[in-house]
Amino acid sequence: MTKSFNLPASQSTPAIAADWDTGLLSISGDSYPENSFDFFTTTIEWIERFLAERDAPLRLELRLVYMNTSSVKAMMDIFDMLEEAHGKGRSVSVDWLYDPRNERVEMLAEEFREDCSFPFNILAQA
Amino acid sequence: MDAAGPAGRDEHTFLRELEALLADPAQQDNPLTPALARLLALHRQQNERIERLVRISDGYHGLSRQQTSGLADKFERQVRRLEKLARISDLYQSNLRDLTEALREASLKDPLTELGNRRFLMERLKDETGRARRKGAPLCVTILDVDHFKVINDTHGHDAGDEALRRIADVLRNSVRQYDVVGRWGGEEFLLLLPEVGLDEALQTAERIRSAIGEIAIGLDGATIRMTASLGLTRQLDDDLPSDTINRADNALLAAKRAGRNRVVVR
Repeated sequence: MTKSFNLPASQSTPAIAADWDTGLLSISGDSYPENSFDFFTTTIEWIERFLAERDAPLRLELRLVYMNTSSVKAMMDIFDMLEEAHGKGRSVSVDWLYDPRNERVEMLAEEFREDCSFPFNILAQA
Repeated sequence: MDAAGPAGRDEHTFLRELEALLADPAQQDNPLTPALARLLALHRQQNERIERLVRISDGYHGLSRQQTSGLADKFERQVRRLEKLARISDLYQSNLRDLTEALREASLKDPLTELGNRRFLMERLKDETGRARRKGAPLCVTILDVDHFKVINDTHGHDAGDEALRRIADVLRNSVRQYDVVGRWGGEEFLLLLPEVGLDEALQTAERIRSAIGEIAIGLDGATIRMTASLGLTRQLDDDLPSDTINRADNALLAAKRAGRNRVVVR
């Protein structure tokens, strides 16, 4: 089984790419799957496995625009995992990139960032 | 158990005295000695049992207290998470609502003239028809078409044509009452809904618009573009469908064109 994976975007789900070698996980697009729990399982398990088996830095690159409530919950769970790893001395970081024409995404990313003590950058990117 | 309190000290002293008596060679023949020795052993065994019981009970008590405060912390954390989830969710929802509103507005607006578009006019025509019938009030409808508009586009380019349409839109906005409805019907056609006025008053409005359009002068590379417009006017009849009224106004417009343009025809 390959340790990297690549999930193309669909009408209601974001594109997800996880690179085991570089420790980069990117999620981009809109996220309102019918079952967010199922949808994010692969990603959450990948993060768990990466944190357990590797000691290289883990970086998340997010370009999320619209999310339903259960996707918001899944992202909060992911940030909690990162926070826990950070507490154990692991190097983890999040770069949340947003289109400057949609500055409301910036507000949302800031809400997510609250309670996170690891590096969490919110960056405008056209 | 507290062995250092006054009761504990008494007990301790008594037990020492008892041990001393039991160990005294002079008491070895006393028939009470072996019985007392067994009693003392029994006492110590019981004491030990009680202390163990108390230790276990205290342990459980402490454990449950720890668990309770652990649960309270966990509960507090979950409440905070839920609040955060609701807050973020609310933000997303209000963003979507604003987006819906913006899209709705965009879907009803003509971007060039910023007047309502054909869809907007059809909705308003239905609304105004209903209102007029409930009130028993008249409703007049006018279609306006710019004369020889194609010539402006062909001679001066599309930017000049766009500017001409914007200027006409300004004239229309400034020529009607607050509750009249103006929109771009398509191409170089505009539609006006004039509620609560009869044909006489509507005709005055239409004539005012026609002459105001004749006043428009667009300067372009030393040349001046001037325009005229033809208008068809009608009054909605009691058994009209909205499309009937529009068709009659359209026929009136056609008649105005046939009669030589730059005029208002009433049907």
